[in-house]
This record gives sequence, C-alpha cells and structure tokens, in this order.
Amino acid sequence: MSRMAFAVAGLVAALGLLGAAAAGGPPTGGGVATALADIGPAPEVALTDQAGKPFALSSLRGKAVVVSFIYTTCNGSCPATTLGLFRVQQALRAAGLWGDKVEFVSISLDPARDSPDVLAAYARVYGADPVAWHFLTGPPGRVAAVLRAWGMWAKVGPSGVLDHPSRIFLVDPKGRQREIYNLEFLEPDAVVKDVKSVLEGGTGREGQRNAP
Amino acid sequence: MRERTGRGGWRAIVAMALGVLPLAGPARAETCLSPFVKRLDRPEKYLYVFCVDADAKDNDFVAVVDVNPDSDAYGTISYTLDLGSKGNETHHWGYTDDRTRIWAGGLLSSRIWIIDVATDPARPRVETVLNDVPKVAGLTGPHTYYALPGRMLISFLGSADGSVPAGLAEFTNDGKFIRRINNPDGAPYGYDVAVKPDLNRMVTSSFTPMRNYKKPLAQMDLNDFGREMVVWDFKERKPLQVGKAGLAPLEVRWSLKPGNNYGFTNCALDNSIWLFRGQADGTYAFKKVATTGALPADLRQSPDDKHLFVSCFGDNLLQQWDVSDPDAPRLVSTVAPGVQPNMMHLTGDGKRMYVTNSLLSTLDHAGRFWIRLVHVGPDGMKVDPFFNIDMNKLPTGPARAHDMLVN
Repeated sequence: MSRMAFAVAGLVAALGLLGAAAAGGPPTGGGVATALADIGPAPEVALTDQAGKPFALSSLRGKAVVVSFIYTTCNGSCPATTLGLFRVQQALRAAGLWGDKVEFVSISLDPARDSPDVLAAYARVYGADPVAWHFLTGPPGRVAAVLRAWGMWAKVGPSGVLDHPSRIFLVDPKGRQREIYNLEFLEPDAVVKDVKSVLEGGTGREGQRNAP
Repeated sequence: MRERTGRGGWRAIVAMALGVLPLAGPARAETCLSPFVKRLDRPEKYLYVFCVDADAKDNDFVAVVDVNPDSDAYGTISYTLDLGSKGNETHHWGYTDDRTRIWAGGLLSSRIWIIDVATDPARPRVETVLNDVPKVAGLTGPHTYYALPGRMLISFLGSADGSVPAGLAEFTNDGKFIRRINNPDGAPYGYDVAVKPDLNRMVTSSFTPMRNYKKPLAQMDLNDFGREMVVWDFKERKPLQVGKAGLAPLEVRWSLKPGNNYGFTNCALDNSIWLFRGQADGTYAFKKVATTGALPADLRQSPDDKHLFVSCFGDNLLQQWDVSDPDAPRLVSTVAPGVQPNMMHLTGDGKRMYVTNSLLSTLDHAGRFWIRLVHVGPDGMKVDPFFNIDMNKLPTGPARAHDMLVN
C-alpha cells in the first residue's frame, strides 16, 4: 500500500462527499415477499402432558402452535419465557384466537424432575390455560431425542444448573416452522400478528419481491 | 374467566419477581456480536483466530490461542484447525445464537464452514462445509455472520457472478438455506449488517464486490465502492430508507443502550466516522462526526457504550474515541501496535483488546503478521509488550490473521 494509493483514495472520497445526501427517499424493490419464511418442518413431539395423557404435536395440525422449551426449577430465562407466553396467551384470547386457532406446547428440558404433576403445578403458577397450553415430559431418552430434532440442547453448566438456548418456535397449521423468537422478540402484539399471518395461509415460500 | 385470568397474572408477576432477577446479569458484556448471541459469563480461555495461508500454498486454518493467564501455554497457539482447502480468503465469522458453533466464510471461495466449538472448545472441529452457497443463495462474498434465534443471517458483498447487487441470506443453524433478502434499488453494494431489536431496525452498509476486491490494490476500481447504508424494518425484512455516508461505510455499530436510536460506521475510504440517527419522523439522518487516521478498517465499541475503537490500517494506529456526545467524538487515546493493525476484539469486561494485522491478501502491505494484545484502562490503551504472537514462522509459513472470537 503506497502513500499514492491513499492519496487517490482520499481524492475519491473527497469527490464523493459532494454527493453525500443526508438521507434518501423511500427505496423501491428489495426485501422479501413475506416476513415469515418457511424455516423447515416442525419435528414430531410425542410425549406426556401435565394431565398424564399422551400428547402428539401432530394432533394440532390445522392450528398455529407456539412451541417452547423450559424446565420448572430454572431461574434463568424460563420464568421470563413462561411469563411472556402467558401474556401472549392473554393477547391471543383477546383476539379471539386462543384455543380454537392456536395452542401452546412447552417441553421440559429436565424430564427427570419435571413429572406431569410438577408441570401441572408450574402451569397453575403461571396462569397457563390447560385447555390449550400443553406442558410435556416423558422418558429422558425420548425427550432428548425431541430436543435434538428441534436443534435444542440442555446441559449442566459450570454453575451446576442446566444451560440451554432461549428459542420459541411458531409452527403454522401445516406443521412448518415460520418464526423463532427469543425473549426480546416475544412481544404479544407481534406474535398475534404472526399467528394471524400463518392462519391466513401464506407458505413463506413466496418468491422474492421484484423491483417495480 | 376474568377473575381466573387475574389470579394467573398475579402468580405470573410473583414468578417473574422470583425468577427473572438473575437474568439481569453483569452490566458489561461482549460487544460487536449479534444481540441474540449468548454472552460469555467468565473471562476468556481461548482466542480463535481466522487465518489465511499467506502464499495460498497451504490450507487456510483456525488458530486457537491460549489466553488463560493461569495456563503455561498462555499467549501461544495451542491448536490449529485445518479447514481442508486453500485460497479461500478466510475472513469473517460469527457465533450462532447458542454459542455452540461458529459460522466462518471465505471471501474468494464463498465457502462457509460450520465449526463446532462446544464439544471441545480447545479443539474446534469442522461440522459442515457449505460449498454451494453462490448457487443456493445467488450471492458471493459472505461477510457478516449475524445470529438470529435458531438461524444465521449473512450479509454478502456481491451477486452470484461476483458483481452487484449484493444482498443477505438466512440459513438454519445447521446450514439449510432459508431465503434471500434482496438489497433495494439504489443500494447495490453490501458489507455489514446489525440489528437493534428494541427498535425493530436493521442497518446494512457497503463495500465492493468480488470483481473488485479480488484484484491487486493497484488495479482496483475506486469507483466500484458503495457509500449507501440501508435502514430496514427488521421484522418485515423490508428496506425503509437508503442513506449515504462516506465512501465504503463498513462496520455498523448501534448504540448499546436500549432505546438509543443511533449508531456509527467507519468509512474506510473517507477516513471518517459517520453517525446515523433516527429522527422524529422515523427517517434516519447520516452525518460525518469525526476524521480518523488513514483507512479506518475496523470499528469496535466499549461495553459501557462510551468509546469507539478504530483501527487505522493506513496509518498503523489504533484510536480510541469518546462518543459520550455522539455528535462530537473526542480522540482520547492512540497506540501503534505494529504495521497495518486491522481487526480488533474487545473482551466483555472492556479491558483487553486482541488485535490482528491482515485486511485482505490484495490490500495487505505489511511483510509480517502478528496477533497482539492491547490493554484498555482509565488512561486509555497500552500495548502489552509480552503478548506478541508471531504468525510468520508457522509450520506452513506465514499466515494472515484476520477475524477473532473468544471462548
């Protein structure tokens, strides 16, 4: 890199400054055809719910489903996740969608401790409506297989507590993943909007928006 | 129903009071990563360095540097991960949201490696290699690897044929292509991307495509660089505004404080820092706020949001700017760690900044490559005289060290 090269670069930059506007107008073209992409299939979940009954995620085809992963003794992101989902539940109820159009599934990351009874008590603490909010557990091996299928994991960290990612999945009526939230994006109004969007039938595979 | 809901609400509030407090965590955390990336909750033990074999005769690699002060091997390369191919121009990388993998890419090959750093952080391993990215995404020159929950958002420098328009693409964490996001009209170039989740805004910046950056410096077309910055509705992935900054606005650094609706970029061919700031009408204004040393190649933030660090590749300097007043940055410290400093990586406590000195094989003018450490304290920056990793006498010969991550 020579001094000359820098001098040339500086000249170009100086010329360019003449055209540096404060801000442009609204752009045309670009972006995507639909905000919610088709991220991939929602893997099957066949476990036991908080009432001790068998439950399969595929039984909810035709509805939108919000899938989360928590454990009851967690003092990290899980309480905030479940509280956030409670708020979303209330927003969906207010929008007339709760139960008939959308249900929740929360899968235990600690099935050895989280028996159906423990999950039922946890659900009551958070005001989860058992009609459409299913807390699931099962044999640890089977739960571990579910976590792997969803790209999730839970492992004991240096402090002795379970470490895990914070992800909440929106599944459309056809069983496709359409959005993944974490706590920062678990805004009730935004989730209600997303649920309405996937209920309206978009596939997320629409073509790119073309420039006019 | 209303009464039951009320009780649930109270229970939830109590549960939150009991459970959420630990979430507050340390006030300081690593900067210049996607906000969706899990932060390191302890001092770093490993420094990962993405390396180009300097003469492109051997495979590119990842160097693992032992940065545990209690280790006998402190300050040395403890492991190298052979990436299995050469001439990639290995450049930038980023963690997935859960910090178990690093996505890393080559600017010339457009090849992407997904590297497992969770199984054994001391000995990362290649999990997957994506060899067909231009074919599936229609883009080349993968640059910024930006974690979203469960996915990676990547900004590219150019189109499938190495020209423009550039764009972005999303992949699942294990490498499945999800979709491409097109740049808007009037913003053909690409470089960095950064999201401000609390404002639902994303900003992208501009450099030059492969048709240009693959050339030797003397042959580069200086009219083939962009100056555009695009403001997006992040949730909708919808471009809202094309603004203009100085030539080649590179890194996009949003203010770290929630609600602060501004950020900075370093304009490499304008020798400047520009401020972008949201206005009352929802649009953004773009303004030059500081003149830096020559060719500001990297821009980093202190965890307290008070300082910017600029590597002045052309003047062989690092600058520390106080941006407490974002309209009037103030130069507070300068050090010279060696010829052509480029990439920087600041630790979460804001006290240690690792530095490398390769930009691109076509732009490097230093004959020797190194990894150094700069301490950051109340009185500014100081180069550590004892931390000096010589990248010239490796078994495969000299290597150009570029991007870094800690673990």
